[in-house]
Amino acid sequence: MPPLMEMDEHIRHLAYTEQLPGEEARLVLSVEAAQELARGLGRSKAKGLPLARVELSALELGIAPERYLRNFNTYSYAEQARLLSARLALIGLGGLGGNALEILARAGVGYIRAADGDEFQPSNLNRQPLCTRRSICGYKAAAAAARVALVNPAVEFDPVAVFLDEGLMARFLVGMELAVDALGGLKDRPALLRQAAAAGIPLVTAAVAGQAGYVATVLPGAKGPADFFGADTLAAENTLGTPAPAVATAAALMAAEALNILCGRKPRLAGAMLVFDLEGMSFERVSL
Amino acid sequence: MNIAIQCFATLSRFTPPDSASFAVSPGETAGQLAARLGIPPEDLKLVFVNGVHVELDAPLQDGDRVGLFPAIGGG
Repeated sequence: MPPLMEMDEHIRHLAYTEQLPGEEARLVLSVEAAQELARGLGRSKAKGLPLARVELSALELGIAPERYLRNFNTYSYAEQARLLSARLALIGLGGLGGNALEILARAGVGYIRAADGDEFQPSNLNRQPLCTRRSICGYKAAAAAARVALVNPAVEFDPVAVFLDEGLMARFLVGMELAVDALGGLKDRPALLRQAAAAGIPLVTAAVAGQAGYVATVLPGAKGPADFFGADTLAAENTLGTPAPAVATAAALMAAEALNILCGRKPRLAGAMLVFDLEGMSFERVSL
Repeated sequence: MNIAIQCFATLSRFTPPDSASFAVSPGETAGQLAARLGIPPEDLKLVFVNGVHVELDAPLQDGDRVGLFPAIGGG
């Protein structure tokens, strides 16, 4: 490739026209071309990974990165660009966190910092997508890093294989736009609620027990579910367990809300909980 | 007067057979209803009436939809 050509010219040169049924033709930058261009770029700490920078440049030129083609009637080019520039903190990489991470990485959230000090154990196999016969007994954070690298190399993933106490939570949230509470159990949730508020960022939170669960968004200073449930209560999942359908449902709802917020829309669940029961197949939005 | 009741998670075992149209007396509160259903007070963390969180002393009205929620934290 000629060394003096600017990135934008390269992208324009490599873009092709794609005509999807029922849509206007669009210019597209293939996954392969984006990766090739990224190889020619150095890493810049301030601007994210090279591949994300190529994808961002393409979006600014009105050219769709092929990887996100199926997202573009949900997220506009400008919204996709915001996702690629977004900084998210994910706490917990078990059932909720593993499922949410898959969605957030595929959506192209540019920077994800994720913490879990836990190692996989056999009882995680029923629901945690990162827990496999290969990853079992290893760190959840390590399995998460391997998965993100496979799924979307435009995502800068910062794994932390540590259980965060409240002091570490405060440090973990510095510079983040949004916190996602994918913790298991009640013990650490009030602390995370406090620290997200102290950091001045919204918290998307979820939990399940049996076939029931909830997803909520807590804005700084507002009350969240953890304020009502407490930290020392015997939680319902101890008897009802955590089957995969409820966990994956809660995680998908949580990821959808996180993407709403990160792409610049209003939080849809601020001050509210979406409660569901998959046994009765009921969903209800309730205000806190 | 009658209300509809939905008991979530561990509270579902307290769901009365006639939960879609459960008779309550005028002035009965959410807390009194929960006690009448046999729900231990320490297990009830959130009560919603018609999609809005209420305190236990909130009086119920005819046609209310009542949701009763324990602490859940699984992930």
